Amino acid sequence: MEIISLIKQVPDSTRVKVDPVTGTLIRAGVPSILNPYDHFALEQAIKLKKEHNAKLTVLSMGPPQAEEVVRLALSLGADRGILLSDRAFAGSDTWATSYTLAQAIRKIGKFDLILAGMMAIDGDTAQTGPGVAQQLRLPQITFCNELKVEGKKLIAKKLIEGGHEIVECIMPVLCTMIMPHEYHPSYPSFMSIYKAQVEKPAELWSLKNIDAEIKLLGLEGSPTRVDKIYPPVSKEKGTMYNGSPSEMVEILIQILKEEEVI
Amino acid sequence: MLTISDECIGCTKCVKVCPFGALFMEGKVAKVNESCTLCGACLQSCSVNAIDIPRTIGTVDISAYKGVWVFIELLDAKDGKKQIRPIGHELLSAGKGLAAELKEELCAVLIGHHVSGMIDKLASYGADKVYLVENEMLQDYNTDSFSAVMCALVSQYKPSMVLYPSTYVGRDLAPRVATELFTGLTADCTGLSIKNGHLLQTRPAFGGNIMANILCPEKRPQMATIRPNVMKKNPPVAGAKAVIVTVNIPIDKSIIRVKTVKKLIDESHGIEKIDEAKVIVSGGRGMKDRNGFKLLEELADELNGAVGASRAAIDMGLKPKPHQVGQSGTTVSPTLYIACGISGAIQHLVGMESSDIVIAINKNPDASIFNVAKYGIIGDAHAIVPRLTEALKNRKKA
Amino acid sequence: MSSVDLISLRLMLNSLKQYWKKNLSLDFLQELDKKNEYPKKVIDDFYDPNILGVNYLLIPSEFGGIGGNNVAVYQLCEMLGRIDLGIATTAFATFLGCDPIRVGGTPEQNAKWMGRIAAEQMIVAYGATEADAGSDLLNLKTRAKRVEENGKITGYRITGNKQWISNGGVSDLYTILALAPGGASWFIVEKGTEGFSADKHEDKHGIRLSNTTGLALDDVYVPVDHLVGLVEGQGFVQAQAVFGYTRLMVAAMALGVGSEANETAIRYAQQRILAKGPLSEKMGYMHKLIVPHAVNLEAARCFIDRNSKRLDEINEGLQTEGAIAKYFTTEVADNCADDSIQALGGYGYTKDFSPEKLKRDIKIAKIYEGTSEILQMTIQRDRWQEHLKTKGGFYINMAREMDAVHAKNPDVGADSASLCLKGLSAILEVCRTERLTRHQHVTFKIGDLIAKAEVSHSFVIAASQDKLFEGVRFDKETYQAMARVNARETAFNVILDGIKLVTGAGNVDAHALAAQTNLIQIIQKQQQITADMDLLSVKLCEIFNAR
Ligand SMILES: Cc1cc2nc3c(=O)[nH]c(=O)nc-3n(C[C@H](O)[C@H](O)[C@H](O)COP(=O)(O)OP(=O)(O)OC[C@H]3O[C@@H](n4cnc5c(N)ncnc54)[C@H](O)[C@@H]3O)c2cc1C
Ligand SMILES: Cc1cc2nc3c(=O)[nH]c(=O)nc-3n(C[C@H](O)[C@H](O)[C@H](O)COP(=O)(O)OP(=O)(O)OC[C@H]3O[C@@H](n4cnc5c(N)ncnc54)[C@H](O)[C@@H]3O)c2cc1C
Ligand SMILES: Cc1cc2nc3c(=O)[nH]c(=O)nc-3n(C[C@H](O)[C@H](O)[C@H](O)COP(=O)(O)OP(=O)(O)OC[C@H]3O[C@@H](n4cnc5c(N)ncnc54)[C@H](O)[C@@H]3O)c2cc1C
Repeated sequence: MEIISLIKQVPDSTRVKVDPVTGTLIRAGVPSILNPYDHFALEQAIKLKKEHNAKLTVLSMGPPQAEEVVRLALSLGADRGILLSDRAFAGSDTWATSYTLAQAIRKIGKFDLILAGMMAIDGDTAQTGPGVAQQLRLPQITFCNELKVEGKKLIAKKLIEGGHEIVECIMPVLCTMIMPHEYHPSYPSFMSIYKAQVEKPAELWSLKNIDAEIKLLGLEGSPTRVDKIYPPVSKEKGTMYNGSPSEMVEILIQILKEEEVI
Repeated sequence: MLTISDECIGCTKCVKVCPFGALFMEGKVAKVNESCTLCGACLQSCSVNAIDIPRTIGTVDISAYKGVWVFIELLDAKDGKKQIRPIGHELLSAGKGLAAELKEELCAVLIGHHVSGMIDKLASYGADKVYLVENEMLQDYNTDSFSAVMCALVSQYKPSMVLYPSTYVGRDLAPRVATELFTGLTADCTGLSIKNGHLLQTRPAFGGNIMANILCPEKRPQMATIRPNVMKKNPPVAGAKAVIVTVNIPIDKSIIRVKTVKKLIDESHGIEKIDEAKVIVSGGRGMKDRNGFKLLEELADELNGAVGASRAAIDMGLKPKPHQVGQSGTTVSPTLYIACGISGAIQHLVGMESSDIVIAINKNPDASIFNVAKYGIIGDAHAIVPRLTEALKNRKKA
Repeated sequence: MSSVDLISLRLMLNSLKQYWKKNLSLDFLQELDKKNEYPKKVIDDFYDPNILGVNYLLIPSEFGGIGGNNVAVYQLCEMLGRIDLGIATTAFATFLGCDPIRVGGTPEQNAKWMGRIAAEQMIVAYGATEADAGSDLLNLKTRAKRVEENGKITGYRITGNKQWISNGGVSDLYTILALAPGGASWFIVEKGTEGFSADKHEDKHGIRLSNTTGLALDDVYVPVDHLVGLVEGQGFVQAQAVFGYTRLMVAAMALGVGSEANETAIRYAQQRILAKGPLSEKMGYMHKLIVPHAVNLEAARCFIDRNSKRLDEINEGLQTEGAIAKYFTTEVADNCADDSIQALGGYGYTKDFSPEKLKRDIKIAKIYEGTSEILQMTIQRDRWQEHLKTKGGFYINMAREMDAVHAKNPDVGADSASLCLKGLSAILEVCRTERLTRHQHVTFKIGDLIAKAEVSHSFVIAASQDKLFEGVRFDKETYQAMARVNARETAFNVILDGIKLVTGAGNVDAHALAAQTNLIQIIQKQQQITADMDLLSVKLCEIFNAR
């Protein structure tokens, strides 16, 4: 079996702030991490790899420094790691990202299962997984939290409104993974990091390594445009009250009356 | 235009799956006629990749695209029948304003089996026209069948925009359609307006830490998924009627590749309750334990509301997960949201900010929750909440 | 020499950091601290090649380790220092314990023992100190008697007591310094050898997670191939050979402690609202308790980085630089930890916040691996030789280098650094002509002035580079402002202290010396320092923001 895991390097968005004056992102001091959903998906891929003696390739598109997440994946157990990096890919929206990733996957060739995260915690769109699936004409199962392989069949547990659904599909298929509520990602030991560095160097692919229509890449291949980025407008600070509990209750009753709740 | 290369081995699979009868055999190879809608259903059926839809690169004549569309998601009701998910009403209300400004029609897209009974309801929510696609293969949502239908409809009728709910279904479907049609899709929008004739889509990103305005200036239709519970619903107009356009799109069983084996609906499913409640009394870590939440439940009962919780409270096991409000929980926008012992982390705020009135009770005067509260009460929720419940009870008696 | 590239190093440090954040909360560490308990499970994880395997970075690759270079090892030490200086000491003592073998062992000894240390995840201890032989190791009392058979030495019998040995009670392997007939020598002793035992775990002021015990050796027999290097009398030479980098590494651990304290205070200052505003917006507070420490720590970082890189090239030596790094960094980190308690006020004085523990822990860094005073003497002794050899040219040459930097880049404080080094040379010259180094006080103080001046020189060079080195978390503008502040402060303090020193000790014309050292010019250079510190206040809060 051949598995491809799609991984993205993201700024730790829980620590990103916006400069209230300029409206630009303050990224100073914010570390870059492997998108947590991808980290979880990767761990599932590694589990499947062990169970089914599969070959696992990770693929990431990003700037040169994204090599770090590819190397992290290799240290955790992936067999092959590819970083797609080229000026031509810059400015991709999810359409162009999906197209580029799909062209690289075509170049990789054989695969039975593609795993993606449900979403990346920077762009937050959750569109790339289904986009890649459509580019490759593959069936997709989104929002999965458990995967099982039986012969040629993939069985997944996925989220639906109000609960779960067990679905199955003949591979090849693309799945996007959610992650558990209390998820603590695994990190590699010093030795596995070192061994990966020595034994499994990351492959750096540029535009030349894939067959792609230039006009479908990067900014040009992206139908959407970011018009403006700004900090969320905080509502005007309301009225504050302070006093004994019974005074506060009186005020609350007053408010509820004024707002016609009671 | 769809092309079939000489790789074709004449297996006839594509002919069978084409919903429009646009493919036919000529001698030993497949050919295409003008009924092709470029829906793409055949592409996956071809085992030798002989079929291709070359993309139209370059400018699209955007003036040819008219109409504001809303994809209507259906839910399983308790009685096993289908019903319109409330977000459909929200999207039609939002779409109404956009359509009016553009002087275009507002259209609902209704896909299912035996669903025509819902058309009047959609009309009462503001739909001028309803595209109805019914057949038994469309009973339940499925990625392959629904995306084929949507691609076909859009290619044929050319709307200027399509709005989808940002739900498990909407987020599964919309990216496939947008990818296939080579158009832009904006995710999880919380605001829509018109800028120079284009749809200006507002959405949070970076976990709610920033807002982005997104345009799709050169491609059509413009597509967006919209977060539930942020668009205000217009009051339904009784007796309103819509033009019905019935489209027959037969679906061959073989295009459905992912099959449902079993559905597991959670018993303690409280989502409907909190995302439909008019009043929500919500608690955080500051409520400390189950007893603290009891106080909230009693107040909620008194106000006819539901109880919500922060993730910290959920993690402490004070409420089941469906009650979680926020980025990784449910987005709510009740008339009244009372936050007790919640600090107001950004991930919580994005889930409740659009409530009409927010009252916060917190003992720390610097808690960020006060930044979004219309009324801020500095004090001990454990002391205030039971007294408030008591006072409300007494009022009722009096 | 190194096999670890930059990405691997980052990944390794990240794995360690994630382990820390997940398993080693302050509460957890304070609890062990209170119980004076060695964290066995944690250390097992640290040594387990499948979990963290931190120790493998320190073991050469030919013996089954990773063989990280000095740059990698110092960054590891910094992170360990941030986590807990006791845990850092535990890991580091293994490293130290291996050193006599690595430096002095025969190839066969290296293959055997380093191989076993890697394969069996051994914890190692370094046993030099005795009750009467701490700073003064020459006073060593432990004896190793030859055991001979047919006129051939077959082994040794060791008797004596060691004191304050890190990992004393928990090690698998010990390197013990003892006096053999041919002079001081290192011996390898395995746990459980007959006659060998560890005393009770000491009740210490800080690093209470690190196991520290005395060792008793009562006629302990070791075969002859346990004599490191197979030649007697090499003990002190072997111990000396590694001081360059072991001291750099202790400096890095102290850097970790200091940075942790400083960053805790910066974050706290943004959250604590007093008099209608956060403390971080109060200038007096920031300029007293926060900014100077941040600048000093950054200066220490660049000195450690620069000399680790140099050591990676030349492999051995840099004893003086090691001494400067350790002396400067441990003093700076100790002061910073102290002021971080102050910055947190009453909260800082409780065990609920980290500065309380950091402050207790950091103290040891000024004592082990050479006390601060011993290092001051070492620095002075070594550089005094250079001063004499070059007829005062040593610091004049460094000053010229600064002039060249200033010509290219006027924003990094190279002008002040140049004045400082020239002035230092003048002060040393007065010491020579007045024969002031006969006062021990003068030698100590000169060691201090030299350390500050040389660190500042490194800082200026680092800030003038096109690309800042890996590990700097500031943008260039901020970093250069730090270098400027440091260069001006240092020039002022070194020259003023120097004048005071020689005036106090000798018969000197203060006016002439002030002119000779350009005192007024140095004071004039202080212009704008307040604006720079204001900029740094803002930048520090931006990078170490409260969230
Ligand atoms: C503020 C902001 C708003 C944006 N809004 C939109 C928008 O509304 N519509 C739009 O089309 N684009 C949008 N973009 C652009 C979008 O973020 C990028 O196209 C990005 O490359 C992919 O989208 P994502 O980050 O949302 O990933 P998602 O689609 O959320 O990612 C899902 C999964 O796809 C895989 N994946 C995603 N990117 C990569 C990659 N580079 N390499 C390998 N695997 C990957 C991962 O497995 C990931 O978990 C926006 C960008 C910004 C900065
Ligand atoms: C990727 C991600 C997704 C997340 N998604 C969500 C989400 O969907 N929803 C969510 O809520 N969080 C979410 N979080 C977590 C969020 O960051 C916060 O940790 C969480 O909201 C904090 O919950 P809290 O306000 O209850 O607890 P705390 O932050 O601990 O606040 C407790 C508050 O109670 C007050 N208090 C204490 N005692 C009393 C008293 N007696 N009376 C009154 N006030 C009192 C305190 O002053 C304090 O303000 C997410 C985090 C991440 C990283
Ligand atoms: C927690 C801990 C862990 C340790 N771990 C190890 C270990 O693993 N292995 C090991 O071998 N040792 C270890 N040591 C010992 C440590 O290296 C010594 O304590 C250190 O070298 C100082 O020696 P001393 O304690 O005998 O102090 P002393 O040498 O007695 O010094 C006392 C004071 O006098 C000053 N002084 C010393 N000489 C002079 C002088 N000539 N002129 C002026 N002032 C002077 C010193 O600076 C100090 O202030 C450890 C110590 C501690 C506390």
